Amino acid sequence: MKIWSTEHVFSYPWETVIKAAMRKYPNPMNPNVVGVDVLDRSLDAEGRLHSHRLLSTEWGLPGIVRAILGTNHTQTYVKEHSIVDPEEKKMELCSTNITLTNLISVDERLLYRPHPDNPEVTVLTQEAIITVKGVSLSSYLEGMMARRMSANARKGWDAIEWIIQNSERENVPLCDMY
Amino acid sequence: MNSVGEACTDLKREYDQCFNRWFAEKFLKGDRSGDPCTETFRRYQRCVQKAIKEKDIPVDGVEFMGPNKDKPES
Repeated sequence: MKIWSTEHVFSYPWETVIKAAMRKYPNPMNPNVVGVDVLDRSLDAEGRLHSHRLLSTEWGLPGIVRAILGTNHTQTYVKEHSIVDPEEKKMELCSTNITLTNLISVDERLLYRPHPDNPEVTVLTQEAIITVKGVSLSSYLEGMMARRMSANARKGWDAIEWIIQNSERENVPLCDMY
Repeated sequence: MNSVGEACTDLKREYDQCFNRWFAEKFLKGDRSGDPCTETFRRYQRCVQKAIKEKDIPVDGVEFMGPNKDKPES
């Protein structure tokens, strides 16, 4: 089992980051995410928005790797539950893989909150528990996965920034005619 | 972004547009008036659930660890 965590600050207010996080895919930094669907969405008694989503990821695994893993599937699926609390200004996401579960388990948690010292910026805390099952090199593979996730986390931050910047550009009118 | 069910992509985009607008302009601004997207969501869901069954995606099989929930002993 490998536990990995990181923190990142976005120089944008919480609402801006959350809107981008909700529309994160597609983006050029995460080309492996090829499908996203909402399975369920509802408001709870405290006015928080719950969403359950299904993500499909295509890793382009070469045939021989797939043969070793014993799978014919080229896509892996991830289930994600998110909660947006607009009063507390918290967005929490938890995800876990639902395929290849006999080989590996990746549980990830992300939390977006305004920075405690500066409400104009947003802190993302991200953590993951990675467990590779039934393989003698498990701790080595877990370490590899953790490094991979670290690199992917950076891409994820860039993706959010990209979404924000592209949305801002759309809102700028071409001609100021008042 | 595509749906996991290729045939559902248009319905997904229609729903996403409705949702994103509601999310940014109503929900985040504290407006608790009704959700305008229930009908498009229903249409979209019918398609997605069918695709999930056809592709045999195990959405229900896993005991899902959500926020504030403890993972059960396995």
